Amino acid sequence: MLHSFKKSALLGVLLALAVAPAAVPGAADAKDILLTGVKPDKIVMVDVKAREVIKTLEIPNAAPGNLTITPSPDGKIAYTIVNRWESVSGIDLDSGKEVFRADFSSGKTRVKAMFAMDISPDGKELFVFQSPVKLGLGEYEVQDTRVAVYNTADGIGAKPVRLMPAPRRTAVMSLSKDGKKLYLLNWDLTVMDPMTGAVVDVHKVRNWGRANFGEPDILDVWPQWETAGVFSTPYYVVRTDKSPDDPAAYKTGLLTLDLETDEFKMDGFEDTAVVIFSSVINPVRRNEAYMVYTTLSKVDMSKPLAERLVKRINLDHTYYAVNVSSDGTEIYVGGTMDDIAVYSTADLSRIGTIKMPDGGDQALSSLRLIQR
Amino acid sequence: MHRRNPSILPTLPVICVLLLGLLPAGPGAVQAQGADAASILNSRCAACHERTADGGLSRVEDMRKTPEGWDMAIVRMTIMHGVRIPAEERAVLVKHLADTQGLAPEETRDWRYILERRPNALDKAPDDDLATLCGRCHSFARVALQRRDAEEWRKLAHFHLGQFPTAEYQAMGRDRNWWEIVSTSVPDKLGKLYPLRTAAWTKWLDQDAADLSGRWRVAGRRPGKGAYHGIAAITASGEDRYRVALDLTYADGGTASGSGNAIVYTGYEWRARLNLDGESVLQVFTLSEDGRELSGRWFLEDLDSVGGNLRAVRMGPAATILAVEPAYLRGGTFGRIAIHGVGLDGEVDLGEGVEVTSTVSRSSETVVVEARATAGARPGARGVRVGGADAGGLFTVYSRIDSVRVEPDEAIARVGGAGGPLAAVPAQFEAVAYMNGSDGAAGTDDDQRIGVMPATWSVDDFNETAAAMKDSQYAGRIDMKGLFLPAAAGPNPERPFATNNAGDLAVKAVVNDAGRKIEGAGHLIVTVQRWNDPPIR
Repeated sequence: MLHSFKKSALLGVLLALAVAPAAVPGAADAKDILLTGVKPDKIVMVDVKAREVIKTLEIPNAAPGNLTITPSPDGKIAYTIVNRWESVSGIDLDSGKEVFRADFSSGKTRVKAMFAMDISPDGKELFVFQSPVKLGLGEYEVQDTRVAVYNTADGIGAKPVRLMPAPRRTAVMSLSKDGKKLYLLNWDLTVMDPMTGAVVDVHKVRNWGRANFGEPDILDVWPQWETAGVFSTPYYVVRTDKSPDDPAAYKTGLLTLDLETDEFKMDGFEDTAVVIFSSVINPVRRNEAYMVYTTLSKVDMSKPLAERLVKRINLDHTYYAVNVSSDGTEIYVGGTMDDIAVYSTADLSRIGTIKMPDGGDQALSSLRLIQR
Repeated sequence: MHRRNPSILPTLPVICVLLLGLLPAGPGAVQAQGADAASILNSRCAACHERTADGGLSRVEDMRKTPEGWDMAIVRMTIMHGVRIPAEERAVLVKHLADTQGLAPEETRDWRYILERRPNALDKAPDDDLATLCGRCHSFARVALQRRDAEEWRKLAHFHLGQFPTAEYQAMGRDRNWWEIVSTSVPDKLGKLYPLRTAAWTKWLDQDAADLSGRWRVAGRRPGKGAYHGIAAITASGEDRYRVALDLTYADGGTASGSGNAIVYTGYEWRARLNLDGESVLQVFTLSEDGRELSGRWFLEDLDSVGGNLRAVRMGPAATILAVEPAYLRGGTFGRIAIHGVGLDGEVDLGEGVEVTSTVSRSSETVVVEARATAGARPGARGVRVGGADAGGLFTVYSRIDSVRVEPDEAIARVGGAGGPLAAVPAQFEAVAYMNGSDGAAGTDDDQRIGVMPATWSVDDFNETAAAMKDSQYAGRIDMKGLFLPAAAGPNPERPFATNNAGDLAVKAVVNDAGRKIEGAGHLIVTVQRWNDPPIR
C-alpha cells in the first residue's frame, strides 16, 4: 500500500493492548464482532456498531498472511489458514494465545490447504480441504486431494483423525447446521457424510444441464454464511443460443444453499455487467443478497428477473469480501486493502469506515461475523 | 469491466534473474575457476538427482534446453530447493548443458521471439488446447524450446501443480479437469511434438564449431532512433568466448560505440553484454549454419522493451548488401541514398525508373549516391545491385502514401516506479507508410510497404469504457519519437475505485505526405507490473 505505512506504530501497540470486555456468547447484549486478518500475521477483532478495532492478535509463524478464518461456534477461538497455506492456527480470542496448531507438511510431502475449511456445530472437529504433493528426490508426485479432519481438542501439534478423499478444485466447504452434511463446492456442489466421506448427494453446477446454457463458472473462496445460515456465491454463464457478440449472451446469477434445509438454487439476475467476487445473504430479508468487487450490488431474488438488481454503487476501491450484521441492517465490505467499509442494507448509503491497524492489507482473508 | 485487480495469490518473491548465468564477468573468468562441469554436477546436483545406469543424472539427462532454459532450471533449484551454487559454477553448467543437451538451430527457429525478448511478439501454439493449458501462464514458446519424452513431460506436469497448486483454480484451468488432462494426454502429445531425440539434434552435434573472430559488417534498426550501420570487431578470448567492439553510425548522423564480452552456446547461440556509450546492452543473436551471418535482437539490459534488430555478415571477399537508407524514394524526387554492405565494388543500380545521377562517396562498405526517381516510375519494391551484390526488398519507390500503420499494431506497456521495485515498461511505436495494392483499398494483404516515416504522435481513449475512466489522461504520455512512457504504479486515489494508472489506448500517428496528413492508429494496453520476469517468459 502506498498510503498507509506512515501511521504511528504506537497506535498499533495501543490497539493491541486494548482488551475487549468479557462477553457471554448468545447473551441478549451480545455484540456483532467482525473477524478479519491482516498481513503478515494478525487477526483483527472489530466492534462494528462502534466502528472500532477492539483487539489485534498475533498468529505465530503465519507469514506471509492468513487466508480462510473459521470461528468456533462459541466465538471464542478463530482458526485460520497460515504459513503459506501449510498450517492451521487456532487463536484464543480472549487470551490471544495459540491453542490449536496443525502443520500439514513434512519433509517428504508438502500439503496446502486450498481455501476450504469449516468446523462442526459442536466445535469439536475442524474440516480442512488439502492438496498434497510428494517431494521425491528430483521429482514431485501430485497426490489426490482430501478433507483432513482434526479434533480441536488435540491443540498444538494436532494430526488428522480422518482423511477423506475429496474432489479436486474444492474452494469452499461448509457443514450443514445439524452437522450431518459436509458441502464441498468444486465443479459441482458435492454433499459428503462428514464421518465417512461417502458422497451422499451432488447439487449439480457444472452438470446442471440447462438447455441453451453452457457450464456455469464459479470461483468463490469466501465463507460468508454465518448470519443467514445460507451459503451464496455469484456464478457466470454463457448462453449458447446467442451470438458471442451479443452482451445478452453473458449472464450473472446467484447460487444459494440453505445450510439448514439443504435447499439449493441457481438463478440469474442480470446480463453480466460487472465482475463480482463474493456475496452474502441478509439474515432478516432472506431474498436479499449483497455482492462486492469494485461495486456493491443489492439483489432481490424474489422479484421478477428484470427487477432483481435493486441498486448498484461504485466502491472507493476493490473489496473481495462482504458480510452483513445479524440484524440485517448493515453491510460490511472488506478484504483486499486496509479498511472495512460499512453500508446500509436499505439504500447502500455509506455509514462508516474502520481502518486496519498499521495499514495492513487484508488481501484474501475471510471476513467473519461472530457474536460476543 | 474494471482493471484494478490486486493479486489474489500469496505474495511471491520478485524473480528477475535476467541472463545472469549466461554472460561472462570478463574474458577468461570462467576458465580461471578450474571447476569442470562433471565435478559441479557431481557436487551440486547429484545429492538429489540419482545416478542412472549410464552414469548420468536422473531428469538432468532426460531433457534438452536453450541456454536460458538451463539457466532458469538452475535458478529454480536455488530458489525452490536451496541449492547453493556460485555464479561461476552456474555459468560453467549452463555452457556445458547447452552445448551437450541443447536445441538445433531449426528447433529454435520459430520461437526466437521469446529468447530475444521481443516486447510485442504474438505467442503461438500448435493448437488451442495447448495454448490454453500451457500458454495461459507463460508463453507457449517456453514449452516449444524444450525437448523431453512423454514420461519426462509428465514429471513436469507433476512439478507444475505441485509447485503452483492454484493452477487448477484459475480461469481457463477450473473450466476443465485440468489436472487429469495435463497429467495424461498432454505429456503424450508433447512427447510426440518435442521428443528428446531428434535427427536435427544428432546432425547438429556433428557440426564443427565456427570461429567468429574477425571483422563483421553490421546494420539494423532501433525503433525510435532509426537505422544504423557499423563494424563489429570480434576477437577470441577463450573457447567459444569473444571480445567484441562495436562502432555504429545512425542515419541521423549520431554514433554509438562500445565493447563487451560474448559467449557462443550450442555452436550458434550468441549472447553478449556490451557497454554502448554508457548503456548496458544485451545481444541475443543466432549464427547462421554456414557461420557467415549473425542476426537477432539487442536490448537495454534494464529496459528490454527498448532495443533493435541487427544483422551482421563477415567482412571478406563475398559481396553482400545489408541495408539501403533511406529505404524509399518518392517518384519525381531526388534523394541521397546510402547502401551498406560488404564488398560493394562496381556499378550501383537502384532498379527501374531510378536514375543514379552521381556518386557522393564510396568504400567497399558504404556507397552513397544521388538518385532520381522518375515521375512515372512504377511504384513498388526494387532489387538493388552494386557490382556483383544484389538484394531484394530493401528499397521501394512510391507515388503517394495511401495509408499509415502504427507498428506494432497491438502493444503492451506497464506502469512502474513510484517507489516500487519495478520500473515502468515503455512501448516504442513506429509509423509505417503503405501504398494500396491492386485492389485500391488500404489495409488489405496486397498493400505495399514503403517504410518508416517521421510522424506526429498522440494517444486517445480506445473505447467508451476507456473514455469514461479517462485512461488517456492517466495512463502515460507519448513522445514525438513514438515512445510511450507509462505513468506511475500503485492505486491512484483520483481515479474511480482508486484504480491504478492502467489504460486502454489508441496510439495515433499522423504522417505528412507532401502536405497531406495521413493518420494511422494502433492499440496499446497499459497494464500492471510483471512481477515474475524470467529469461524465458
